[in-house]
Amino acid sequence: MHAERGFRRLCGFAVRDGTDRLTTITHRLRGARMRTFSNRTTRPRFRAGGLLALVAVLFAGSLITACPDSARAQNAATASGQAYAGKITYWFWGESDIPGIDKWMSSMVSAYEKLHPKVTINLVPQASDTLIGAFRLAAQSRSGPDIDTQWATLPTLTPYWDKAAVAISDYVPASETSQWLETSENAEGGKIVAMPIYLIGVPLVWNKQLFKEAGLDPNTPPKTWDAFLADCAVLKAHGITPFGMGNKDGYFGAWMFAIYLTQELNSLDEIKGAIGNTGSFSMTQFDGLLRNLYTMMQTLVQKGYLNSDVASLDLNQGWQLFPQKKAAMAFTTDGNVLSWGKALGEENIGVAEPPKWGHGKLADSYDVTQSSDEFITSWAPNKAAAAAFLVWLHDPANMKALYAETGAFPADERFPVASITDPLAQQLYQLDTAKTSIWLENYLPPQVDNDADLPAGQLITSKSGSPDQAVEIWNRVIQKWRVQQIPEYRQYRKWAGGNG
Amino acid sequence: MRLSLLRLRRHKDFVGPERRLQRRRTIGRRLWPYLFVTPAALAIAAGFLYPLAKVVWFSFYSGSLGALTYVGTANYTGLWQDPVFFQSVLNNLKLLTTVPIMTILALLIALILNAQIRGWRQYRAIVFFPYILPATAIGLVFGYLLERNGVLNTQLRHWQLGWMAKDWLGSAADVVPAIGGVIIWQQLGFGVVVFAAALLAVPQELVEAAKLDGANGWQIQRAILIPYIRRTIEFFVVVEAITVLSSIFTYVYVLTKGGPAEASSVMEYYIFENGFENGAIGVASAAVVVLLVLACVLIGFYLRLRASGADTGR
Repeated sequence: MHAERGFRRLCGFAVRDGTDRLTTITHRLRGARMRTFSNRTTRPRFRAGGLLALVAVLFAGSLITACPDSARAQNAATASGQAYAGKITYWFWGESDIPGIDKWMSSMVSAYEKLHPKVTINLVPQASDTLIGAFRLAAQSRSGPDIDTQWATLPTLTPYWDKAAVAISDYVPASETSQWLETSENAEGGKIVAMPIYLIGVPLVWNKQLFKEAGLDPNTPPKTWDAFLADCAVLKAHGITPFGMGNKDGYFGAWMFAIYLTQELNSLDEIKGAIGNTGSFSMTQFDGLLRNLYTMMQTLVQKGYLNSDVASLDLNQGWQLFPQKKAAMAFTTDGNVLSWGKALGEENIGVAEPPKWGHGKLADSYDVTQSSDEFITSWAPNKAAAAAFLVWLHDPANMKALYAETGAFPADERFPVASITDPLAQQLYQLDTAKTSIWLENYLPPQVDNDADLPAGQLITSKSGSPDQAVEIWNRVIQKWRVQQIPEYRQYRKWAGGNG
Repeated sequence: MRLSLLRLRRHKDFVGPERRLQRRRTIGRRLWPYLFVTPAALAIAAGFLYPLAKVVWFSFYSGSLGALTYVGTANYTGLWQDPVFFQSVLNNLKLLTTVPIMTILALLIALILNAQIRGWRQYRAIVFFPYILPATAIGLVFGYLLERNGVLNTQLRHWQLGWMAKDWLGSAADVVPAIGGVIIWQQLGFGVVVFAAALLAVPQELVEAAKLDGANGWQIQRAILIPYIRRTIEFFVVVEAITVLSSIFTYVYVLTKGGPAEASSVMEYYIFENGFENGAIGVASAAVVVLLVLACVLIGFYLRLRASGADTGR
């Protein structure tokens, strides 16, 4: 009882203190107290005085060790006049999307550490291959980064559902978050889970010189699928590889899914309904759309419109065919387009929306996304400090520096569009902001993306299977995910509008 | 009856305090070795038995740590219904065929080197070199070599052998043999060095005697050298079988990541993908249990073979 009284006093103190950190601890400890109390009533043997005293001592000990972390940090911070103090570990990813962004982030970290000498930020660049897996592992042990980068929507929302991430909107005022673009990609229950840094589109890029060599109009990109196939046929007849990509890692297939399956949908609820089994859109209907997509991909492979080594090159390797003038067209990111523009000369490359193939209402959307985003982990000891750093990144001067150093478009309303003076960049920005932006891959649970989306595309490009077999992979993996990830599936259903 | 036994015991206790002391000493002496073993036993229990029990326990749950749901044997049923799992087991078995190939090749090279041809020490070092390279480096290099338009195929086309050029890592049909080839290339050196060392230990008198009896080179190798290093060959086969069964993750991960379309997935990769990438710890644990059982069966089979070999005096 003594321990309980002491505990109540501490709770009261914590709540009155009014800090988020301490309130969180308080809630957690309240749960612990309730459990302890309930145990005592159901297990009489624990009533023994000696044991009670031992529990009390241990309890007090745990409070002493739990509370000072935050209290000390808070006090130290207040005493020193610094807003925050401590170490922040930041697992960052972005170089694959935006060449040069790692350098920008390093310079941001150095600048922030100079501004706040008591803050140390340990920047740990992440690889695409292990981005999801590494964080899943960290989340299981509730240790690792204080700030993590994930791809938008499901890869970000699943850790949030799993209570490995907290909503950033709980730590950042609405006046700030309202300036961020594309926050809807990571919205859940009225909260914003993660912060975007940049916007990235995936346009069709073509080599005007190679078009000219093949007798095609170098200034007219294929806008319809028929026009695209016709251009491919002409290029191939002239000994030019029409489309250069890599799918050894499965990402070209995933891009085709993201770009072209969207065009077959009437709304995003359809894919969410099919995967979440909410009844609004059946798997049979979804299968039909997938079958069409993989049949289209198979046609490209069979007709030789893709580079012959598409199955033995990674996406990044496949991209290199375009700047090496070994392929006339490709899909790539805005960042790569700008980089290739420098290599080949901007006058030699054109950018446009991917040719239209689908017939759904979303066929008129554009494949743009914040791609990756930053969130604060639930175990970060100083969430407010982490949030303060992230908000600082969105400072107009820092966003301007991001554009200046990498050419990436900041996901921030305050970014002055007038500072985009490069004609190619202007074109890309126009594409990114003109239409509804969707990147469909973000709406797949990570396991379905990894085990169905990537292998199904590989099956087609490696000529190892038929579109029906590719659809079969999707069905099998979705079923498997529903059984193996029951908590995640329930959350997904709820998110998709069904009964969780 | 019970009363008389009690009396007897009391009588014994009464009549022999020295004996009682002696009995205590005997018990103490018997327990003494167990005391020495206890730390090691505890270490094994903590380091092996506990994790193993935990893995078995996890195999009955779904979800990730922190959000586990009991699903009974559903994970095992799921494995049974998962073609990727069977593909992975099958690929492990296919790759086991590399063991006899590399054993024969290593033996042949070791026998040639054993003839102490000119520069044999240098050749041995060259053959051994791939073994000391990290598997990740080998994976990266072979990743480039084996591309459809990579060095190997370009060279084949250059030699008018284009019909042999294949999409080694991008084709479901060729990817497992390609990985097998890489494994042989790396592990061969180990076999050569082990066999060459064993051959050097063969008493020269035996070989000389055989020569005096008129045995030719082939007969000496078949009837003296190879039987003499039989135990070493057995050791190599067992080590390589274990390697191929449970230590080829790096090759698969670096070369293909299990692709295309899971065609080159092996058990280890399957476990990694489910446990680490998908966070499906239950499925990964169920696969670990199956792998463990499979390994136990193989080891049991080997031990039985050895035992029968010992019985027949071979």
